[in-house]
Amino acid sequence: MSLPVIGILAAIVVVLFWVIGSFNGMVGLRNRVQNAWAEIDVQLKRRHDLIPNLVESVRGYMQHERSVFESVTQARAQAILAGGNVMQRSLAESALSSAIGNLFAVVENYPQLRASENMQLLQEQLTSTENRIAFARQFYNDEVMKYNTMQSTFPRNLFSGMLGFSPATMFAGAEADRAPVQVKF
Amino acid sequence: MAESVKVPAPEARYVPKDRESFFDAQRRNRRATWRISILCLISAMLMGIPLALVVTPLLYAVGLIVADIVNYFAPLPAVFWQLSAKFAHFGIVAFQWLLQPRQQHIDPATLVVGIVVMLLPGVLLSMFLWSAIHMMFQRSGVGGALLALKAREPDQHDLKELQLANVVEEMAIASGLPAPKVMLVDSLGANAAVIGTSPQDARVVVSRRLIDDLNRDEMEGVLATLIASVGNGDLHIAFRMTAVFETCGLLAALINSPFGPQSRGVLWRILRYSLTRSSSADAAQEAAAVAEMLSRSAEIADDDINTFFDTTRKKSKLHSILIFILFPIFLTNFVIKLSLWFFSATALGPSLALLWHTRRFLADATAVQLTRNPDGLASALQKLTHEPGDIPGGDWASHLFFVKPAAGSGRTPDRRQREVLAEAWTMADANPSAAATPPAKVDFAALQAQFAGTLRAAMGGDEQAQQKLRAMYHSVAATDPALAAQFPNPDEFFSAQGGGLSALRRAQVARKTAAGLSAPSRDAKKKDRSGPSVSLMSFHPSIERRLKRLARMGAHPDLKAADPRTWIVGLVIGLILSPFLIAIIAGFLLLISIMTVASITFLLVWMAFIHKAFTLLPHATGR
Repeated sequence: MSLPVIGILAAIVVVLFWVIGSFNGMVGLRNRVQNAWAEIDVQLKRRHDLIPNLVESVRGYMQHERSVFESVTQARAQAILAGGNVMQRSLAESALSSAIGNLFAVVENYPQLRASENMQLLQEQLTSTENRIAFARQFYNDEVMKYNTMQSTFPRNLFSGMLGFSPATMFAGAEADRAPVQVKF
Repeated sequence: MAESVKVPAPEARYVPKDRESFFDAQRRNRRATWRISILCLISAMLMGIPLALVVTPLLYAVGLIVADIVNYFAPLPAVFWQLSAKFAHFGIVAFQWLLQPRQQHIDPATLVVGIVVMLLPGVLLSMFLWSAIHMMFQRSGVGGALLALKAREPDQHDLKELQLANVVEEMAIASGLPAPKVMLVDSLGANAAVIGTSPQDARVVVSRRLIDDLNRDEMEGVLATLIASVGNGDLHIAFRMTAVFETCGLLAALINSPFGPQSRGVLWRILRYSLTRSSSADAAQEAAAVAEMLSRSAEIADDDINTFFDTTRKKSKLHSILIFILFPIFLTNFVIKLSLWFFSATALGPSLALLWHTRRFLADATAVQLTRNPDGLASALQKLTHEPGDIPGGDWASHLFFVKPAAGSGRTPDRRQREVLAEAWTMADANPSAAATPPAKVDFAALQAQFAGTLRAAMGGDEQAQQKLRAMYHSVAATDPALAAQFPNPDEFFSAQGGGLSALRRAQVARKTAAGLSAPSRDAKKKDRSGPSVSLMSFHPSIERRLKRLARMGAHPDLKAADPRTWIVGLVIGLILSPFLIAIIAGFLLLISIMTVASITFLLVWMAFIHKAFTLLPHATGR
């Protein structure tokens, strides 16, 4: 075997190893992206579970704010019904977010309720849940960015499509969230 | 030209010109980690050369004695002696060449073999010890010392503690890591640390004071830094770092073992620990104790040697003979300790500290990625600058803390101070009948727990608790003003609580000056606690530098502009001092090399003597 043949063989081996390495890297990232997506669901579920608690603890104080409760429970039911459909689900979830926001705005009118220890703990739990959902989305988007960058940079973009990788979509806010906030006095 | 004088748009003024994205900052610090690890490797090698040079002949000597003893009872084949003579020849040739490199011409291959013969066993021994230590502490983790504290789980019904547990979970979600376990410590210091060996068994230890002082955003910043540091693999690095220092300690203990019972005690305890297989809290405590011992074993060794070679004491004849026989080891021992101390203070310590600095900056940048809120972290850092604290019992692992624990703030009061404090505490009690009967023996630990509870209540706005603290403070101030100066004045303190940062700072300044004026005994126990071992450099980067970097990522800390005069003064002093420093370093290097050569020579002579003595002995079968 002459020197050039050995060189070419070595180059092929190196390229092969590199391809295997980047394939495995992309598979790993794809799994991370899927996992991050599932984490968002877990956190949304957590919020659904907390809402009955919230409604129960507030109901006694605010008998005549019936419409607020109803919108919250309805939004929750809608969100659970939406199930796997991403489009409907994200719409329903953002409706739920705004319903909860409304409820807390109304709670502000009841100082006694606001000061109660139970309410504070519950409010903390809900704040945390909202944060968790936001952080889970952020993590999902970060992972998607890594995954997409890895796929679409040269020279991986030459074969990533062939191996069955496609760019993942980022989680974007609902249209309703982008609308300008209206402040009424 | 006209464009260059354009007034920036209003919103542009709020963005620093050289704003850096946190991804860039992370990349930069990751690269810096690589560079500095190479530096660490080089300084470890620098330190290793004299050590290996000295330890190797010692190992040969031990080997020779063993071979001689074996030979005495069961003669070894002649081939063995021929081989070892050849082997020794290489080493001796290389040693001679080292002494007079110009006058002799030697074959490079012989030189290489000789140097390998002289260095390899020492290097192998240190590597072996290092990996043994690594394996030994793998089970208990880096901060076993912190586990020994009375840490508790957060209470789900306390708003602040619930918040802490939630923030930890949120940050774990944001970083995609398993959520670490949270432990709370009721201590006066405000600080937090993360301990463990891997992301799976990481634990976050937070002092209750920290969550009282910080709001949710700031807490998020602090915990994001800790969790980011876990995600970046700092636990692993910290573990390796401490293992390096512990290896040095173990080496010192090993060399000293012929001299003293204390070193042997250390070795025995380590051996016992490494052989027991339990993972209970006791084991963690034992690990912490062993680690503490290892980092102190150089001091212990000193004691041993001093007792052994104490010339003022009356000695038996056997002891004098022993001294004569063991004298070369004494010299070796001295060289090893000197070079350990010198190189770890000037080379290895600072480079490891630098490495740790970049890891801290990296953790800060990653924390900004997690929270997307650089201001939360920056304001937490600023608050903790004014109120840094120690979690008692955490001295040994102080590099794992979020901010550098303040020396002195967490130290335990001495006995007289304890009595004063206990008396003040009972006096301050609302119940006069309890005060009338002073307890025979004061349980200080219980008192501390009570005090922490009252302090927490007072912070939460409990009037009665505040009243009690005030009474106690005045009572202490009446009997011992110096002691009282070490605590914040509750009047100032509680008014500062409402007023936020600036009032808090004022209270702090007042407290510091008071402490400086009236407590000359403060530095009685002044020890460098910035790292696992002696180093000229702190393991914590300065908070100002961390804030500056955060400002580049978009935070708005109120940084004071650096005074250019301090720079100039520093430069001038540095220029004046640098020749002296260089001379001192050169002197130490010279001393170490002379001592090394002397120790090798002594050991060689010693080996020759002992070997000769053995050949003179009548052999069992004759040779």
